[in-house]
Amino acid sequence: MIHFNEVVLANGLRILVHEDPATPLAAVNILYKVGARDEDPNKTGFAHLFEHFMFEGSVNIPEFDSPLQFASGENNAFTSNDITNYYDILPATNLETAFWLESDRMLSLDFNLESLETQKKVVCEEFKEHYINQPYGDVWHKLSALAYKVHPYQWPTIGKELSHVENATMEDAKAFFFKYYRPRNAVMVVAGGVKTTEVERLAKKWFSDIPSGELALHNLPKEPVQTEERILELHEDVPLNAIYKAYKMCDRMHADYQASDFIRDMLSTGESSRLYNELVKEKKIFSSVAAYLSETIDDGMFIVEGKLNPGVKMEEADKAIVDSCLKLADSVTDNELQKVKNKTEAYLTFSDTNVLNRAMNLAWYDMLGDPNGINREIDKYLAVTNGQIKTVAQQIFDKNRCSTVRYFAKNK
Amino acid sequence: MNRSIAPDIKTPDSIHLIPSQKITLDNGLQVYVINAGEEDIVKVDFVFEAGKWYEPKNLLADFVNRMMREGVKGKTALEVADIFEFYGCNLESNVSFNNAGFQIYSLTKHLPKVLPLLMEIFTEASFPEHEFETILNNRRQKHTERLAKNDYVANRNFLSAMWGQTHPYGRVTEFADFENVNSDMLRDYYGRYYNASNCFAIISGRLNDELLKSINDIFGAKAWAGTAAPADVTHVAAPNAERRLHTEKKDAVQTTIMIGNATINKYHPDFDKLIVMNTLFGGYFGSRLMANIREEKGYTYGIYSGISSYQHGGILEISAEVGKEVSEATIAEVAKEINIMRTELVDDEELDTVKNYMIGKLMRSVDGPMKYSDVLKGQILYGRDPQYLNQYLKTIETTTAGEIRELAVRYLDFDNMYKVTVG
Repeated sequence: MIHFNEVVLANGLRILVHEDPATPLAAVNILYKVGARDEDPNKTGFAHLFEHFMFEGSVNIPEFDSPLQFASGENNAFTSNDITNYYDILPATNLETAFWLESDRMLSLDFNLESLETQKKVVCEEFKEHYINQPYGDVWHKLSALAYKVHPYQWPTIGKELSHVENATMEDAKAFFFKYYRPRNAVMVVAGGVKTTEVERLAKKWFSDIPSGELALHNLPKEPVQTEERILELHEDVPLNAIYKAYKMCDRMHADYQASDFIRDMLSTGESSRLYNELVKEKKIFSSVAAYLSETIDDGMFIVEGKLNPGVKMEEADKAIVDSCLKLADSVTDNELQKVKNKTEAYLTFSDTNVLNRAMNLAWYDMLGDPNGINREIDKYLAVTNGQIKTVAQQIFDKNRCSTVRYFAKNK
Repeated sequence: MNRSIAPDIKTPDSIHLIPSQKITLDNGLQVYVINAGEEDIVKVDFVFEAGKWYEPKNLLADFVNRMMREGVKGKTALEVADIFEFYGCNLESNVSFNNAGFQIYSLTKHLPKVLPLLMEIFTEASFPEHEFETILNNRRQKHTERLAKNDYVANRNFLSAMWGQTHPYGRVTEFADFENVNSDMLRDYYGRYYNASNCFAIISGRLNDELLKSINDIFGAKAWAGTAAPADVTHVAAPNAERRLHTEKKDAVQTTIMIGNATINKYHPDFDKLIVMNTLFGGYFGSRLMANIREEKGYTYGIYSGISSYQHGGILEISAEVGKEVSEATIAEVAKEINIMRTELVDDEELDTVKNYMIGKLMRSVDGPMKYSDVLKGQILYGRDPQYLNQYLKTIETTTAGEIRELAVRYLDFDNMYKVTVG
């Protein structure tokens, strides 16, 4: 059970405080409710580029990192399709340093052109490192564009192409900041060796003079139901033939989400999982296989991927995945269901041990609509029935809702 | 309120360490116990002296460690995995240059149900032929995949140049190596190195007396005592005389750069201050290398220098993935930064930032029983007392600008470094 108190400032900024006297550290997490899904289709990758820009100095403080490091702290951030999340962790005695730094960059940035140009280069190198100069590095670009035709999940957070990052302007940055980086579009979590009264005092001191801003609406088009199988075949310089299958699945708050996650777990987590035993060990079709969820807020993807063993035909490999997935619907035993419940109980308990994780998770559940969701998650998982697994598996593994990317290794 | 003025800070002057105790089981096995935490969870970590250092054939240490969970007397690989996973336990196994380990992460309430099975893995592994074939195939495939990654190729070229094929730290995997191991060799290595005299354990988390008693009942068995790894295994490094190595990848859009050399390890009295020097140079986000090569020039997403300590030597490495067109310029900038380290004194503000950052990092590394168990392991492996960490903190605090420069002169010698590029 994660306890927290809530403080709301007049400008709309909400602060959740989780007191944990056992640690001498404090974690400060600010989640801005903007991600790659909010981008202009011709200016993709911008939310992530902007995340880099947030470290390039604010209106009154030339550098973000060094004062925090001087206060024995560390920080980082990440951007997803749905959110941009920043965190600082430092000794609780130096908590005010994080308030000083975070409030100034919420107030306004330095908007230095030279810094923006440098960060565009850095992000282009990040793009090359992870998405171009890697075997299968283009898979997210291909798979999301195949699976989503209308919804902005059709591009990954790094952006559709390098030129979108290269063409970003300071006007874009200013408009983006004053639209999304306002108190009403953020949620702040302070966790660790802190007291709510002190957090409230610091919050009022540092954040209350920041203009509230407008609530930014997402207004995203809903992806129409997919009604035909989509297959993209690529002949590339990759080491092994590979297959990636993305099935459409429900959104994060849908009642079927936990059952879907159990199906993922049964298929591919651990050495007792189905795909590993059926396809790697018994049939020897793949040398590795995995299933995972895209974990997005709006309708998501249930992805199964595998690297083919030499001599195995692509169609055979594809069919083997389909067969194993379909078989699951009719063959889950009570014992297997109990196993994934036990695994999930352990997983959720372990993810609560670290004060920074707790802060991030609280912010994430707040984004989903209710920070208390963090404490109710386990009950949702434990309530899943075998019947529900069957229904949900049949829904997900519909070939007309599947998008497949097949890699054929050139010269192999 | 003046927003340009930083709030006062206070740098911690000591580290609170969770108390640990050492118990000795009936067969002499030493178990360190860190009984703390808010959640009912526990981690059990066994560390064997069974790493690459001792293997008579390349890959053997790794395959033994991997195959131990692929079936025990009376239970198949699937049955073993299913028992751990039914109770929500995560079993991890790994091999490094000198050690090999097994870790279980479990809810406290389920641990007693899986501990006997862990002991079966340690004493009754069956090494089934058909499972070995699958694992061999998967590893061979993984090797094919890795060879297509430039950073993997660079690391391979870097280590083999520095230590040579005759030394476990420099010996790299070739496809032929997969043909040269068989299950008899696995059984032999297993019998020799996986025993109570050749390991220690750390248990961390929320424990109870019953659990501790069962540890002795299960792992204290005298039949498992065995003998410790021989202390006289030695390997001679055969470094490559050529220090500039390039592998051409014509379609690459980036070049992987690795620069560095063999260096001292934790047994050397300079080591802790060398870490301070390295942190300033390239060991954290605010370092000289990052500030210049990422934040000023935008050549890379990240550039770091790191120092790793192993039982028989250390490795200093600077690594980055940079745009193909700026790879030579990056190497020149690294040389320039090394020269500045060797000739100029760091100012107080920068040095204090590094020290404070390192103290914060130390605090974070011991926050909670399971994180602390990893730090404690690093101390035990080098024969140090847990309280050494407070001494380490004092070492950080008292390092001077003059010492930093002196250490740079001693340990950062660009001409002497290997420069490996792939791209």
